[in-house]
Amino acid sequence: MPAKPIAALKERIGETYRTVEGFGIERGKVAEFARAIHDASDIYFDETAARDAGYETIPAPPTFPRTSYFPRYRPDGVDHSLGFDLGFDRARVVHGEQEYEYTRPLYVGDELVGDTTLEDVYQRDGRNGGTMTFAVLRTEFVDTDGEHVLTASNTRIETAGETAGESK
Amino acid sequence: MTDEFAVGDSYEHTVEDVDRVDFVKYAGASGDFNRIHYDDPYARQAGYDSVFGQGMLTAGVASRTVRQALGLQHLREFRTRFTAKVRPGDDLATTVEVTAVEEGDEGTRVEAAVTVVNQHGEEVVTGTAVAVI
Repeated sequence: MPAKPIAALKERIGETYRTVEGFGIERGKVAEFARAIHDASDIYFDETAARDAGYETIPAPPTFPRTSYFPRYRPDGVDHSLGFDLGFDRARVVHGEQEYEYTRPLYVGDELVGDTTLEDVYQRDGRNGGTMTFAVLRTEFVDTDGEHVLTASNTRIETAGETAGESK
Repeated sequence: MTDEFAVGDSYEHTVEDVDRVDFVKYAGASGDFNRIHYDDPYARQAGYDSVFGQGMLTAGVASRTVRQALGLQHLREFRTRFTAKVRPGDDLATTVEVTAVEEGDEGTRVEAAVTVVNQHGEEVVTGTAVAVI
């Protein structure tokens, strides 16, 4: 169970915070990310190849917005909890689902800001007893013209397992 | 209008032997530094047998096949659900299969099912991708 009561968490549904700023899409980071996900397509490395394939310039892979978690893109006081300290035990938190909706591809040279809304918090019984707590966080990313680029929705689950160190 | 896609069209790709070094590279590339993905004593204390891969690493691996199938210019949605853990040494086989092709006001809407299975045939990611062309 989270360190905070579920009723207190539910009260925060609908709150929105700026969680990403100055998220510049850098060529070197796109290449590094493409290698890390085992997609070495030349569109991620070579501007000519990207244009030949019909892109404006080098695009970022669809899941690249995950890199907005780097602290340098976070406003002061915002960490991996995206501004919502839900009292989840981090050792028991798993990533349940991730959804992206795109208005257009993300390109090298873009600079984005993101605002995150706590969309939902709910609990379910775990398969082996205990309680699982789910939180859905939706982040809207816009470019420097204020135009929507993509929306990322992340479902986090605090699993029902015992907390690490509880037996101490 | 495009006649490029038909229901049942299928695209596949397998990445073999995804190991701790891949989890570490993804941590460095993505900024996800949760120790549970690279610190075995920490993972065991949290009740797991070993470290396990970031869900978003598997989603990224799957995105290669989505890109090959649909391209990125027209990609509108990419949804992934993480249904089982990726353990060190797993093979990740992605399949993207076209499930619907419909003409709409904006163009041709192509929906595809995305699955990633490990070497035991266990699904580790299920999801969908949608393109409007």
